Amino acid sequence: MSPRRHFASFPFVVLLALSACTPPARDHRYFGSITPPQGQVFRFNNGAEPEGTDPGVISGQPDGRVARMLFEGLVTADPQTLEPRPGLAYRWESSADGLVYTYHLRPGLLWSDGTSLTSRDFLYSWTRALDPITVSRNASLLYPVRNGERFNKGELTDAAQLGLAAPDDSTFVVTLENPTAYWLFLNSYYTFLPVPRHTIEKWGVRWTRPEHIVNNGPFNLAYWKQYDRFEFIPNEKYWDRSAVKLERIIAYTVDDLNTSTNLYKAGVIDWNPSGYIPGPFIPQMQPFEDFRKGSYQGVYFYSVNVTRKPYDNAHVRRALNLAIDRLAITRDVLKGSREPWGRITPSGYPGYEGAVQVAYDPARAREELAKAGYPGGKGFPKLNILFNTSEDHRRIAETIQAMWKRDLGIQVELSNQDWGSYLQATTSLQYDVARRSWIGDYLDPNSFLQLLTTGDGNNRSGWSDPEYDALIKLAARTLDPAERFRVLQRAETMAVEAAPFLPIYHYSTIELVKPWVRGLYPTALDTHPLKAVFLDHEWQQHQPRAGGNQP
Amino acid sequence: MSIGIAPPATVSSATQTSAPRSLWGDAWMRLRRNRMAVASGAFLVLISLFALTAPWLPFLQDPTLQDLARGATPPNPTHWFGTDELGRDTFARVAHGGRISMLVGLVGTFVSLVIGVTWGAVAGYVGGKVDEFMMRVVDVLYSLPYIFLVILLLVFFSKSLLMLFVALGLVQWLTMARIVRGQVLSLRTQTFVEAARALGAGTPAILFRHIVPNTLGPVIVFTTLTVPAVILQEAFLSFLGLGVQPPAASWGTLVSDGAKVLALFPWLVIFPGLAMSLTLLAFNFLGDGLRDALDPQGSRQLRP
Amino acid sequence: MITFLTRRLMLMIPTLWVIATLTFFMMRLAPGGPFMSEKDIPVATKTQLLHQYGLDKPLVQQYGMFLVNAVRFDFGPSYKYPQQQVREIIAEGFKVSAELGGWALLLSLLLGVPIGIIAAVNQNRAPDHAAMALALAGVSIPNFVLGPVLVLVFSLTLYWLPPALWRGPETRILPVLALAVSYVAYIARLTRAGMLEVLRQDYIRTARAKGLSERVVVLKHALKLGILPVVSYLGPAAARIIMGSIVIEQIFAIPGLGRYLVIGATNKDYTLVLGVVLFYASFLMALNLLVDIAYTWLDPRVELR
Repeated sequence: MSPRRHFASFPFVVLLALSACTPPARDHRYFGSITPPQGQVFRFNNGAEPEGTDPGVISGQPDGRVARMLFEGLVTADPQTLEPRPGLAYRWESSADGLVYTYHLRPGLLWSDGTSLTSRDFLYSWTRALDPITVSRNASLLYPVRNGERFNKGELTDAAQLGLAAPDDSTFVVTLENPTAYWLFLNSYYTFLPVPRHTIEKWGVRWTRPEHIVNNGPFNLAYWKQYDRFEFIPNEKYWDRSAVKLERIIAYTVDDLNTSTNLYKAGVIDWNPSGYIPGPFIPQMQPFEDFRKGSYQGVYFYSVNVTRKPYDNAHVRRALNLAIDRLAITRDVLKGSREPWGRITPSGYPGYEGAVQVAYDPARAREELAKAGYPGGKGFPKLNILFNTSEDHRRIAETIQAMWKRDLGIQVELSNQDWGSYLQATTSLQYDVARRSWIGDYLDPNSFLQLLTTGDGNNRSGWSDPEYDALIKLAARTLDPAERFRVLQRAETMAVEAAPFLPIYHYSTIELVKPWVRGLYPTALDTHPLKAVFLDHEWQQHQPRAGGNQP
Repeated sequence: MSIGIAPPATVSSATQTSAPRSLWGDAWMRLRRNRMAVASGAFLVLISLFALTAPWLPFLQDPTLQDLARGATPPNPTHWFGTDELGRDTFARVAHGGRISMLVGLVGTFVSLVIGVTWGAVAGYVGGKVDEFMMRVVDVLYSLPYIFLVILLLVFFSKSLLMLFVALGLVQWLTMARIVRGQVLSLRTQTFVEAARALGAGTPAILFRHIVPNTLGPVIVFTTLTVPAVILQEAFLSFLGLGVQPPAASWGTLVSDGAKVLALFPWLVIFPGLAMSLTLLAFNFLGDGLRDALDPQGSRQLRP
Repeated sequence: MITFLTRRLMLMIPTLWVIATLTFFMMRLAPGGPFMSEKDIPVATKTQLLHQYGLDKPLVQQYGMFLVNAVRFDFGPSYKYPQQQVREIIAEGFKVSAELGGWALLLSLLLGVPIGIIAAVNQNRAPDHAAMALALAGVSIPNFVLGPVLVLVFSLTLYWLPPALWRGPETRILPVLALAVSYVAYIARLTRAGMLEVLRQDYIRTARAKGLSERVVVLKHALKLGILPVVSYLGPAAARIIMGSIVIEQIFAIPGLGRYLVIGATNKDYTLVLGVVLFYASFLMALNLLVDIAYTWLDPRVELR
């Protein structure tokens, strides 16, 4: 019995031993532990497991974060403003008609295995991203390239006809289909990162595994275990090696919001990125100095399936739109963590005014419903709200269910589906009203307004208006920025009036950053170049800090 | 679990079963002496009545009524169990949640009862190769990651209540089939069965009129113990987002939602958790008491 | 014994085939596919994807190919994580799950059996009632409540242990504890019942009459048979532990196999789900076989057939 008892008590011995350890430092101004890690080791939660890290193929925030640590493109984003900054290209120029961009690469660029990196690598990488065989999830971002869209859709098979050229090793020339105001912003997106041809041809789809990968960015991949973590170390071959101060980055793969926040509180991670704090906890955290909130280019909306009766009637859609009390949702359900929003494009495009926002107006909502032939909701069929399984989506759906019942007299049922079924239902228009959201890919209203054009794969509401399509096309051809924005605004006003999308809130980035982290800024697209991040071990001497936002 | 012995205890309980009147009388006497079991039974009657009548109780608030501005208030005189983040009354939600949990528990158990009793009775009565095959199927299914199939079923197809009943019933019938088979095996050679057969009764008639009623004791015991197991299973599925779908809520959904905000609003897990745990405990105590009363040495080995 | 083994092994094959077929068609009949994404993919790209994975072939042909590959335990790459072979995912995940489940099972045996013995020896007295009340409480608290409570107390209030992850030994303690508690309860109850049954038997009375000490009677003579229900429970227990570990792995962000089933099902990752289900089914069947063999060793009255 005695060895057994000894063994059984093992966990409790450990408990006792641990309780004898000194607990971490605490301070009422910060959330949880304020004992920093040893050395320049930065630990954060990267969120859901990336589907892959091949920049040309992937999509999604966690995937992109890893790709951007491993690779660097011609143009990089400023860590604060996200404006285009020289990356591998030290300068570039564009032609007067805005159609031709010429990039000049830095001399002596190397891949992490020591082979040299030239403009031909970009020719290969961008062609590859557009090639349908590559199955790039974000190839459409390269559609401004001449013939890019046709090539990607399989209507053109000759890659030589693409508007891409590498006249010599250090020059890369891109010809566009139309002048594209946001082209350089697009260039810092991860789909535009270079990938190593020799490694890909050798290993195929498995080239991104830690034992095979060859990369060119500030960090190398040192370790990866699925659903556990990534570890990165500085890339000695990187052209700007001296700017990299971190010795190691540990990116955990924790998809549960509560767990992620717990890890932050316990001091296991230094950064809990946006999207990983459970909604109900946000109000309690706002007073802490390590809590950060910023504007984020995303809109949460309900999409109405206009191919179904009675939702083909614009009066019905407007009634639904007017009967959403956005303020109540953001204030009470989301506890002030998001901003109420009543139009399709988000804020934050300098010079773009946008359509007038829809406001909560139950009286007008009832009028609209009566105009549609359902006074007081009489005779209105049972409406179904579709959303993918999530606490927050459910809370919002339950709230809107109550609002529509109260203000319109409509019976509403909720259906909650797993991600796959939900996507299937929305793409095949098998729903009445579905929860959706859209996050901008680049800083331009077009990133949102493009969605509602006829036949756009992301429209998913069945709404189509030739006049709207014509306006979006006209804007694409318009060179004068102010005039272009006016055209886009007219289009947006049309779409808000027709109400195939019922906007609900504007996203914010909400994150927790330990006070010793430097060089990590809130940005409009929630992207964070980690190249220049470092840990300040004397952070307590560098007090006070303004709201935790300045280094 | 494919051991070819009939537990000797089963035979002895079968001899008792042949004198039903004294058995039930004795059982009732024994049960009454078990104070925990009686208290549990009373508690279950009360909580079932409460849950059953919840929609018509005047002092209960509407469980779907939201008061967004006053979300997540701790227990107070208007809201005895506090409110959730949408301002809904937790007391009312626990009462209505009990309705659903009980319903899931009872219907799930009923499904398992129907399948298990039929399967076990047929296997035990027909015997021979058929018995061998049917019990082998049970053995095989026993060793399966059954919960996987339930998860797949719920993820891939609808998450309706009906599917939930079927899925949960499917998990529980195996043990029931074994118990019933063991009983039937020892009953089919009894004189009253022989008599019925001599009088020309067909197999189904003998099986369901004469044999199955005599296996009632162990079946009742096991049923009592299956209900809490099903309730717990539903709670587990709720945690994975596969249980009862909103706005309906079971104790399982309430508890698993509450557990996520444990540090902030502990009352959201304490009250539904207490209701669920006490009910599960009561079912277990009652089941143990019934077993001691009905079947003093019988199906013990087949637990849990 | 040999015939028993061959019979059982032969039986496993049709069983696995049924499971494989059931899972395969269930998954294919379900709405949605593995290559859905929030952002739209052009038709040419989608066709290419389906072609790459052979999903454009007739369903029967796909089923045949899947069966052939399943025999070699080769399911190909995961659809969601194409740089990983399903085999690799299973190998890595199972190592973690087996460790988690193994510790939890061990802990529950080491606590549950002694508690059950103490309760049985003191039948209907205070220690019995205390032990059984404790055991029932353990069964009645779901582990998705216990887990967060343990984290709240030991990680977020006392700061003794990490709240999640699977790295050093200190990260093992809370998940193992949270997983073990309900099994401690089950095993204690089973041990008590088994011991009570045995302590009534004649040979125990004989042993007592011979003047052997109570300790020797209980631990040496009674325990061997009294523990039989626990042994036969180990098979189903392993299956239940997997179920529990789905929850625990999610709460504690542990990269175990249980999570892959849920993740795979949600993503319609056909190859991953089939691989995990078949793997677990074979593993559990093998485990049950071992349990049966252990049974004969403990109880000479039982013969295998």
